[in-house]
Amino acid sequence: MLASVDSCVLVGLEARRVEVQADASTGSVVFNIVGLAATSVKEARERVRSAIRNSGLEFPRQRLTVNLAPAELRKEGSGLDLPMAVAVALAMMRKAAPPRSAFLGELALDGAVCHVDGVLVAARWLRRHGFERVFVPASDAREAALIDGVEVIPCADLASVIAHITGEQPIQPQPPTQPILATETEAFEHDLIEVHGQEEARRALEVAAAGGHHLLLSGPPGAGKTMLARCLPGILPPLELSEALEVAQVRSLLGDLSSAKPLDWSRPFRAPHHGVSMAGLIGGGAGLAQPGEISRAHQGVLFLDELAEFQANVLQALRQPLEIGRVAITRSGGSVTYPAHFTLVAATNPCPCGWAGDGRRACRCTPAMVDAYQRRLSGPLLDRIDLKVGVRRVPLDALASEPKGESSAPVRERVIAARRRQLDRQGCLNAQLKPARLRQMAALDAASRQTLERWAEQRSLTARGFHRAWRVARTSADLDGSEQIGERHILEALGYRLNDVAA
Amino acid sequence: MSLPDLSDLHARGRWPPPEGPRVAIVGSRRPSPYGEAVAEQLGTDLARAGVIVVSGLALGIDAAAHRGALNGGGITVAVMGTGVDVVYPAAHSRLAEEILAAGGALVSQFPDGTIPRRQNFPARNWTMASISDAVVVVEAGQGSGALITAEAALHLHKEVMAVPGSVFSPLSVGTHGLLRDGAGLVQNARDILAVIGLGGEVLDDPLLPPERLRFALRPERDGIVAHLSDVLALSAADIARKLQLPVAEVLGRLTALELDGAVRRQEAGYVRALRRGKERV
Repeated sequence: MLASVDSCVLVGLEARRVEVQADASTGSVVFNIVGLAATSVKEARERVRSAIRNSGLEFPRQRLTVNLAPAELRKEGSGLDLPMAVAVALAMMRKAAPPRSAFLGELALDGAVCHVDGVLVAARWLRRHGFERVFVPASDAREAALIDGVEVIPCADLASVIAHITGEQPIQPQPPTQPILATETEAFEHDLIEVHGQEEARRALEVAAAGGHHLLLSGPPGAGKTMLARCLPGILPPLELSEALEVAQVRSLLGDLSSAKPLDWSRPFRAPHHGVSMAGLIGGGAGLAQPGEISRAHQGVLFLDELAEFQANVLQALRQPLEIGRVAITRSGGSVTYPAHFTLVAATNPCPCGWAGDGRRACRCTPAMVDAYQRRLSGPLLDRIDLKVGVRRVPLDALASEPKGESSAPVRERVIAARRRQLDRQGCLNAQLKPARLRQMAALDAASRQTLERWAEQRSLTARGFHRAWRVARTSADLDGSEQIGERHILEALGYRLNDVAA
Repeated sequence: MSLPDLSDLHARGRWPPPEGPRVAIVGSRRPSPYGEAVAEQLGTDLARAGVIVVSGLALGIDAAAHRGALNGGGITVAVMGTGVDVVYPAAHSRLAEEILAAGGALVSQFPDGTIPRRQNFPARNWTMASISDAVVVVEAGQGSGALITAEAALHLHKEVMAVPGSVFSPLSVGTHGLLRDGAGLVQNARDILAVIGLGGEVLDDPLLPPERLRFALRPERDGIVAHLSDVLALSAADIARKLQLPVAEVLGRLTALELDGAVRRQEAGYVRALRRGKERV
């Protein structure tokens, strides 16, 4: 009496196939699970036993062995409950599992099939690996049905799954989830129209959005840095289908996906507190690493307020993802790679007390303190930020007289047009241009080159800084609708280099 | 604050200096271009009039005063809060050498090898006041150490004078407070010379602005410079608003001026540079 059922376990945004074999044979009455099962999987024993009994099925009064193959792969999580129970039930009924089908789901003691995280990721992986049908918890069926070309069977409870397999009472497959298209009038929580004045920072925000550049806002408390940062998602183009699926996969892994609206077109905005741990920001945890804030911000915005307050090693760890758009984390359970392609918006006070440069309040820091503070910020991370602008505090009484700016909608249109120019020309955003392609795609005329080189020499710019200014100039030209970079574009780009000091 | 025994000062260079009136010029370590220019000009003019310029070798006003005195070919004395062999800030070691080379001195009440300690600087300020005939404060915000020097001078019955600043600037709070309380008004070096009873002749008219930018600016950029202040920083947004120009363009033009050394960027925005930038065009 042997039956075998397919399932999978997640390894980051990938999965590994797991064959669940159940064998009932004569011997003393025991129920063993073998095949490198973690504690959470071993606990399934009790759930599986009760679920089978409470579903009106027979539980073997024999020696029962469930093997999870391959044995070298460590298995975690409760998603294997359903395939184990199905394998046991089929073994007792001497029936074969349906071909090219995989099962995923946690069981309650009464046989109900409950939510598991990462169904979207699993469904995508299973489809790619030749499976035609997935049995998933009914609550996760909409999520799984986002994936084209795989039949999704929503499972409410164990009894109905068995009835479906035996053909007694087939379950209606879940219809494909139609992505609700982004509506033109999508309302964002924060609109630039609420930002008074701050023309410099607004412009920097637009440049950042257009070219995919990272941005640093420096200014006293209450200057509106957070507000500005929160406006960024609203001027970014809506997610493409493939991007939305990537975002949804990370959320699915974390069990964060809304079942009513599994596909969201707005870009993520994540603002972790400065006390965040390395594991929280980058990803981590025991066994296999979970995605961190940087992966939750994938295709969106990661906002780090009070940059200087973050632990130095946490910030250091941002360097690799900033550079390559993904992060590889190795834990005891193995190594996983998560996407982490985000726009970084960092905010900082100009000095420890926060009031340097404020028109109304005097700064109480000594030059040495300001120096030390700035040094803490500087270095490799700051070197990877293309745009740095000062944000000034507008006193409350003057706020009303500050000119109102544009709303987000026209800015977003310019951003979309500038992005289209970049994608048509080079297939990526300017921020991702490698130096060789930059030279090719963003040729400088003599005057522009001279200006850039003069600045670089005056301020002892690193090669990296040099290329960053160049890329920003490319974006400035793209916002201008101009193919050729002019001196004014270079000069604007250099205007965002707040931290270069004359040697 | 007990007065240190002046005969007990540690010194490098010529100490005591030759006979002559001594004036301390002190102020903020982070002055505006205006304050820095005033301190430097006063230093030069006083030096030319034969006054020994005393200051504290700190960043900002102190350094400008020493440098001005050196430019005027005068003798200047740096009263240090560290041992005389410990130049603080280290960036001023060259300035210290120049002071010595010009016949000046570095003095300190602290033994050699004393490293900078916060609590030593107020005592240093008292020493500075006690070896000077007058104390001139240029730009001091609330709680500035320069105000301690002024207070010490008051206790020691020395002249206290102050240079007025912009009423918009936080750096004027301390100096204007002194002026309100009866400190002498300094508009030029002659004001100081009159107070210390020296009929010396000042060669440069101190009312003339210090070394102005001598290079020709490109005409279209002049428009922006005219809108900049040498005390109050203006942001690119402020200027763009005034000129009704896009902020991106103004930012670019300001950067060009910065490259030419005609403007300086500070935390709050741009100020007009009063001294020639490092690079000549």
